[in-house]
Amino acid sequence: MRLDLTILAPYLGFLGQGAALTAVICLLSLAGAVVLGMLVAIARTSQTVWIRRLAFIYVDVFRNIPFIVQLFFFYYGLPEIGIYIDAITTGVIALSIAGGAYASDAIRSGILAIDNGILEAAEVSGLSKRVTFTRIVLPIALRTSVRPLGSVLINMILTSSILSTITVNELTGQAKIVASDTFRPFEVYAVLLVVYAALTWLVSIGISRLHKRLNRDLASEAA
Amino acid sequence: MLKVENVKKAFGAATVLDGVNLTVSPGEVVSILGSSGSGKSTLIRCINGLEKLNGGRIVIDDFDVAKPKELAEARKRSATVFQLFNLYPHMTTLQNIALAPVEVLKRPRAEVEQEARALLASVGLSDKVDAYPAHLSGGQRQRVGICRALAMKPRYLLLDEVTSALDPEMTAEVLAILAKLAREGTTMLFVTHEVDFARQISNRIVFLDKGVLLVDLPTKKFFAASGGLAQPRIAQFLSKMKKD
Ligand SMILES: Nc1ncnc2c1ncn2[C@@H]1O[C@H](COP(=O)(O)OP(=O)(O)OP(=O)(O)O)[C@@H](O)[C@H]1O
Ligand SMILES: [Mg+2]
Repeated sequence: MRLDLTILAPYLGFLGQGAALTAVICLLSLAGAVVLGMLVAIARTSQTVWIRRLAFIYVDVFRNIPFIVQLFFFYYGLPEIGIYIDAITTGVIALSIAGGAYASDAIRSGILAIDNGILEAAEVSGLSKRVTFTRIVLPIALRTSVRPLGSVLINMILTSSILSTITVNELTGQAKIVASDTFRPFEVYAVLLVVYAALTWLVSIGISRLHKRLNRDLASEAA
Repeated sequence: MLKVENVKKAFGAATVLDGVNLTVSPGEVVSILGSSGSGKSTLIRCINGLEKLNGGRIVIDDFDVAKPKELAEARKRSATVFQLFNLYPHMTTLQNIALAPVEVLKRPRAEVEQEARALLASVGLSDKVDAYPAHLSGGQRQRVGICRALAMKPRYLLLDEVTSALDPEMTAEVLAILAKLAREGTTMLFVTHEVDFARQISNRIVFLDKGVLLVDLPTKKFFAASGGLAQPRIAQFLSKMKKD
């Protein structure tokens, strides 16, 4: 069998559309996951028992269910009880929820790592809990959790390929179509392997840069 | 006035403060001396509300730190400088200083920042306005820590071993600033191991020993053979300090 990539040339634009959709879905889901992760990280330190418990249950549950099962539940299960959401939105919601469970861990460890002396300085100066959280705790925690949040993003890029199973034509979805159009699955999926590897590699470089940039002024992890 | 009345503090079974009484009037500089573990830091932490009392009362200008509603007012009247600086690492020196005056005292940002720049200039850090703490030396960080406390215009400045994380040169530069504040009439409650410096700037010296306030004397008297030195614990402490 010969590897003949020229037959893919007419489909590059088509695959590019898929890659663009993958990027959009992942960025939206990352935003969703970080917001959710932040809320859950806060909830996990709440004074109220049931809020804390709920947050722990969410993290535990969504980390212990295969993503494809969560996805099928949202896409095929919910319409049974009258909730219809289009495929792309479903994908973003599912990825956000799944990613949020991991993001909350990352942000939570960022919060717990903050030097207690800094919080005491804030407290004695009379800063409210809310201001301390929004102006001190969160900005520091988000900076220090850039790397783990980056892992969440990379995972999301990989996992987003599963959205092709619910008719979302992101990168993998488009590739499936090209493979069946051309009857050349070897070439198509070989390219797909390379593209995903390149994509995650680029993202991880970007994350390292961002980490350096955001943390160069922080004492502990300036390097 | 800052009044500490019969304060008791215990951690589990260990009594750390055992009926401490202390009054600091506006304009006074009072130094707290005592061996390691005698409860000096704990006393400061009780005054700024970081530790709950197990007995007694602390009032700052009539606001009781044990009452949640009054604690906020009490905290507006005092400010703390910490041994390990505790600057906000993600903020520039200017932002470190301006945060609380803007957020707590609700003062206009422009005015606060102008004052912050003047404060930084007064401690020789005009060129570090936009620097982050990680890029400052220990002595510079502590000078920022002092500015951050002063920016709140506290009636009482609480300082807990603010030079013990610094080398001698940096210690000197921070002590020079504190001496200047003392001359200008800043009210200070000053925990230190720098006995000589305490002697220079203090109106009074109190000595804590195992959670008990052994003496509270005017500085001269504290160092007089018939005064503080008459107490064996204090004589022992001072001679040990000399040796170090
Ligand atoms: N959070 C705490 N839990 C338990 N014990 C504590 C706590 N904080 C302080 N202690 C104990 O209380 C005693 C007094 O501590 P404190 O820090 O007030 O001493 P200090 O006079 O400031 O000593 P140093 O000169 O070493 O700073 C010590 O025996 C210390 O171990
Ligand atoms: Mg101490």
